[in-house]
Amino acid sequence: MEKKPKILLVDDESAITANLAPILERAGLSVTVAAEGEEALQKAATIQPDLLILDILMPKMDGREVLRRLRHDGNWTPVILLTQVGDSVERAMALEEGADDYLNKPFDPHELVARIRAVLRRARPGQPPLATAARLVSRDLAFDRRSKRAWLGQEELTLTPKALVLLEYLMTHPDELLTRERLLDVVWGWDYPVGTRAIDTRVAELRRVLKDDPINPVFIETVSGQGYRFAGEVHTQEAS
Amino acid sequence: MQKLRPFFYPILLFVFALILSIALWIGLLPDVIFRLRIDLGNILFVLGLLVGAAWAGLIFTWRRSQEISIESVTTEAGDEKRRFLRRLDHELKNPLTAIRAGLANLAETHLDEMQRQALSSMEAQTLRLSRLSSDLRKLAELESRPLERTAVNVDELLHETFALAQDQPNAAYRELKLTLPQAPWPLPSIQGDRDLLFLAVHNLLDNAIKFTQAGSKIEMRGFEDGSSLVIEVADTGLGIPEDELAHIGEELYRARGARGIPGNGLGLALVHSIINLHGGKVTLRSREGKGTVVTLRLPQN
Repeated sequence: MEKKPKILLVDDESAITANLAPILERAGLSVTVAAEGEEALQKAATIQPDLLILDILMPKMDGREVLRRLRHDGNWTPVILLTQVGDSVERAMALEEGADDYLNKPFDPHELVARIRAVLRRARPGQPPLATAARLVSRDLAFDRRSKRAWLGQEELTLTPKALVLLEYLMTHPDELLTRERLLDVVWGWDYPVGTRAIDTRVAELRRVLKDDPINPVFIETVSGQGYRFAGEVHTQEAS
Repeated sequence: MQKLRPFFYPILLFVFALILSIALWIGLLPDVIFRLRIDLGNILFVLGLLVGAAWAGLIFTWRRSQEISIESVTTEAGDEKRRFLRRLDHELKNPLTAIRAGLANLAETHLDEMQRQALSSMEAQTLRLSRLSSDLRKLAELESRPLERTAVNVDELLHETFALAQDQPNAAYRELKLTLPQAPWPLPSIQGDRDLLFLAVHNLLDNAIKFTQAGSKIEMRGFEDGSSLVIEVADTGLGIPEDELAHIGEELYRARGARGIPGNGLGLALVHSIINLHGGKVTLRSREGKGTVVTLRLPQN
């Protein structure tokens, strides 16, 4: 029988941890709680969780500092950051510092469960998450995260800034159903209902530039009525 | 030429001094003493130059200090508002997260019909608060994020927002009309953030639909006016009472007549923010019981 995945849930607000823990347990996860950064690092060392959920705004040591320390020590346990990470620049920085994903508060607890499952499925034990790789490759599509440039074969692709952010997110979350709302939040920091059209426009732009057929996609797949999925297999490459 | 206007008098003084000096030099004026004439001319010339320069300098620095203080007032007020909205949003997030999790736990227990209904209503209201929190964040964030500048096809944008508005269920009971110029040429493109502009126009149409009744008319028009591109959304709806007009663009402000209609009072504030970011202006005219027209004026560049 498979062991239950171990989750370390870190948030200074006890009302949140007290209410979230039972939900996660019911979803088949084994939950340990920590109320602040130092405690989180200690517990991470002793129980060796499969995934950490870190609130960012905590007294003394905040979630990002915990994340930095873990990564600095070569600990690549998947991390989901919980909070409003401010604007898109902060979000991008958080991901670059080694978080696998983030979820804005206030969130639907079931959404958290879905993200945890997706991250665990994507996890590559002992290796840095896709989110931290310098270069992502899928077939002849290559994305350089430092310079934010993409190539199809030898040809560099011309894409609008938002389309690039979208492509980056798609490639760092392969084989995962991404709703339009979530993509909107990632690219613009919104979840306005009308805005979801904006996502469709950007996806159309990506498909055009990647020469990807929406009916028989190699890269971006439409999940009818729900969102999109990056169907290509993604590998990492260290920057040359 | 506009820029030179404050320097009019200094320049005039300088020119006058120059003319007078030349006149003295070439002897147009009575020749009292030869040397005195030349010296006087030189003195007057230099004096005129100095006074003119001093005057110009004073006017220049005075104007600059005026401009800067206006700028700092608006950014300071804006910063304070943003900080407040951020703080408010921050304080709402944690309790809302805890409540939603608590409700999810409650939903798993055995509840009777009445309890289920109560739970459902609590979930709906929490969702509403969550949306408010998220809207506040957007508003605060809007002013600090970099604006994407591309050529926006306004004609296409207005057609798209109009089509979206027509799709709304309530729109079926209103008369919607879109008027865009074809001659002598269609609306020009402008530099801006297409998604934000889309959102702003959509909000106006959404409001027009929300605050009108069956049978009302809603008209959207776009046209060029001098160096501006104007987009107007007008409706024959509730209108806004005169005493409330000044406040209508404020965050979270809802007019008396808006009670009972869903919304959180951030729609217009968002429109203001977006249009201001584009260097444009938003004006609103309304008559209670008659209708409202919101005018967006965007610079063409």
